[in-house]
Amino acid sequence: MSAKTITLKASDGSTVEFVDEIIGSGGMKDVYFSPDKSYVVGFFRDKQDFNAKDRLQTITGIYRERIFSQQGGDYWKDLFCWPTKIVEHKGKLGLVCPTYQACFFFKYGSINNDFLGIKGKEKEGKWFASAKNQNKFLAPEERGDWFKYLQICIRVSRAVKRMHAAGLAHSDLSYKNVLIDPTSGRAAIIDIDGLVVPGKFAPDVLGTPDFIAPEVIMTQHLKMDDPNRKLPNIPTDRHALAVMIYMYLLYRHPLRGGKVNAMEASKDEELSMGEKALFIEHPTDASNRVKPAQLQDSQLPQADPVKIPYTVCGPYLKELFDRAFINGLHNPNVRPTANEWEDALLKTVDLVQPCQNPKCWHKWFVFDNSTKPKCPFCGTDYKGQLPILNLYSPRQEGTFTPDNYRLMVYNNQYLYPWHANRNVWPNERLAEEDKKPVGYFVFHQNKWLLINQRLTDLEDKTEGKKIGFGEAVELTDNKQILLSKEDGGRLIVVQMVNN
Amino acid sequence: MRKLPVYLVLDTSGSMHGEPIEAVKNGVQVLVSTLRQDPYALETAHLSIITFDERAKQVSPLTELSMFQLPSLTANGTTCLGAALSLLAERIEAEVHKSTAEKKGDWRPLVFIMTDGAPTDNWERGLEDFRKTKCAMVVACAAGQSAQTKVLKKITDTVVSLDTADSMTIKAFFKWVSASVSFGSQKVESTHQEIAGMSELPPPPPEVNIVL
Repeated sequence: MSAKTITLKASDGSTVEFVDEIIGSGGMKDVYFSPDKSYVVGFFRDKQDFNAKDRLQTITGIYRERIFSQQGGDYWKDLFCWPTKIVEHKGKLGLVCPTYQACFFFKYGSINNDFLGIKGKEKEGKWFASAKNQNKFLAPEERGDWFKYLQICIRVSRAVKRMHAAGLAHSDLSYKNVLIDPTSGRAAIIDIDGLVVPGKFAPDVLGTPDFIAPEVIMTQHLKMDDPNRKLPNIPTDRHALAVMIYMYLLYRHPLRGGKVNAMEASKDEELSMGEKALFIEHPTDASNRVKPAQLQDSQLPQADPVKIPYTVCGPYLKELFDRAFINGLHNPNVRPTANEWEDALLKTVDLVQPCQNPKCWHKWFVFDNSTKPKCPFCGTDYKGQLPILNLYSPRQEGTFTPDNYRLMVYNNQYLYPWHANRNVWPNERLAEEDKKPVGYFVFHQNKWLLINQRLTDLEDKTEGKKIGFGEAVELTDNKQILLSKEDGGRLIVVQMVNN
Repeated sequence: MRKLPVYLVLDTSGSMHGEPIEAVKNGVQVLVSTLRQDPYALETAHLSIITFDERAKQVSPLTELSMFQLPSLTANGTTCLGAALSLLAERIEAEVHKSTAEKKGDWRPLVFIMTDGAPTDNWERGLEDFRKTKCAMVVACAAGQSAQTKVLKKITDTVVSLDTADSMTIKAFFKWVSASVSFGSQKVESTHQEIAGMSELPPPPPEVNIVL
C-alpha cells in the first residue's frame, strides 16, 4: 500500500509536497517526508493562534535570513536544522524543515548485532550523555572518542552563541533537541520553532527535565503574568548549555547527587532541580555528593565524580563550570556565555594529549599540569618526554606577557595561525587561508622537533637562529621560539616534562 | 538511579483465546521493542506483567527493559480482576522503592489494565487494596464489546475502549501505551498532579476511544 503524495503552496508561493504517511510524532507535531526525502513537513496537531503563526513566520522569514543570508551564512547550515517555510493543510499549520544529515542516524546502533534495533534511528544526544547507555548498549563504532565530544561541544556552543547574538533564545535546549555524531564530532540544533524573542515572542514550553534552569522550576507555580515568574530566556539557555557540556564530557548530570530533598519523588525532583539545586562537586558543600554505593555497575566509572572529577576537563572549563554550577546556579547573570564556552573549549583542545593505552576509549585527555601526567579515564601513565608550549604575546615593543594559553605537543600535531598570532581566532569567521597549518611537530630520533612549513619569521631566540621553510627547531626545556614578527605575533617558551 | 515502574495487568481469561491473546503477545513485543529504542525509557523504565484468569499471577516481575523476556501467555478460565488488583498492590509495595532520608526512591508507577469481559470475582475488595497504592497514572482499557467500562471507571478516570479485540486494534493500543511511557519518562519529572489524566497523555490513535 503506497500512500499518496499531497501538493501544497507554501506561504512564500513555492510548491511543497509530502507523502501522506506519518514518519514520526513529537510533542506537538506529526511529521511527514517529502517524496525525495530532502525535507520534512511537520504539522501541528493543535490549532496555532495568531501569535504562534506570527512567530513561525518570523522564524522562517527574517530570523532565518538574518543568520543565513549574511556573509559566511553557509557555515550555519550544518549547525542548525532551521525551518524554511510555512504551509497549511486541512486547517493545520505545518513547518518545512531540511532533513537531518545522514551522519545523525545510527549506522551500527547497539551491541550484539544491534539488539535494541536502533540502527537507522536518530542520534538523540541522550544516548551519548549517559554512562549506562555508553557502557552497556552502544556499539563501540558509535561512541567516538573524547576529542570528538570536545568538538561537539564547540559546535553546540558556537550555534547557541550565534542565536544569542541575534537576540534569540532557543528556550528548550536539551540533548533531545541537539543531534550529535560522535564519530565525526558534528552537532546540529533542531526544533527551532520554539524560539523566544524577549519582548516579542514568549516561550510556550518550560524546557526538558535535566535542562530547565532552577529559577524557572522555582517559579513555575506562579501565574504567567506574575512579575516574579521566570520563563526561558537567554540566561536559562546558558544554564542548559552548561549542563549539556558537562554531560557530554563527563556522562553524568551536574545536579543529580545523593541528597534527598523530599520523600515523594516528583517533589524531590522539583526541589533538587529548583530551589535546592546544588552542584554534586561543590567544593565546600558536600551534602549533594554522589553516593557510589547507590550506582549501578554499568554507570561506572563515569558516574562517580571521585573517580573522574570535573577537573579532568582542564583549567579553562573548570573555571566556567564553577561559574555555571556554583556562582551562577542561582544567579543567572553570572553564568558563562556561549561565547565563553566556545573559547574555553578551543583552548582546552590545545591541552589534550593522546592516551598511550590503545584500549582507552576516551583516547584523549587534558594535561593536568603535573610532573607525572596520566590519563584520568583509564589510569595509564604517560611515558616519555612531553613538551608543553607556553604562549606569550607582545604587549609593548620587545616585551612579552603570558597569554594563559598553552599548547600540548604530540607526534604529528599541527601548529596553526591562531597559535602564532593572538589576533587570529579559530571561530566561524576564520579565513580559509588561516585554516591551514603553519608547522607541525614530530618525535624523531629521540628529539621533539617543530618543522616550519610557512612561518616567515620563525626564529630560535635562545640560539639566535632563523628557521627557514622545511627546517626544524628542536624543543628543549626553556627554549624561546618566536613564531611571528607581525602585529600580535607570539613567542613560545618550551617546558619539558620527563617521565 | 530512580526507576520508572510500568505494570501491565492483562486479562487472560477464556474469552481472550485465539486472536485476542495472540494480539496481546504481539502488542507486548511491540511495546518492549519500541521502548528499547528510547534512550530515556531504556535507562529508567522497568516492566512487569500481571495476568488474570481464574487467578492472578505475576508472570514477569518488575524487570529492566534491556533484560525483559517475553513471558508465555495462554488464555482460559474466568476473569478474576479483583485478585489482579490485590496482587498489583502487593507487588508495587514490594518492588517499588520508597524514598528514605538516605536514598532517593523510585518514580510512582504507571499502570495499564486491559480486559475484555466482566470481572467474575469480588473486584471491589481488590480495588480497596489497590486504592492504598500511589500511582502516577492508571489507564484501563476495555477491549471489545463485552468489556465493562463501568467497572473500569471505578478503578480510574482514564478509561479507553477498543471496538474490537482484533490484532490491528490491540497493536494500536500497545503503540499508544509505549508512547505514553516514553512521554511519561520525560513528563512525570515535571508534572505536578498526583495522578496524571488523559490530558497528560499523547493523543490516542483512532482505534482507541476515550470513555468519558
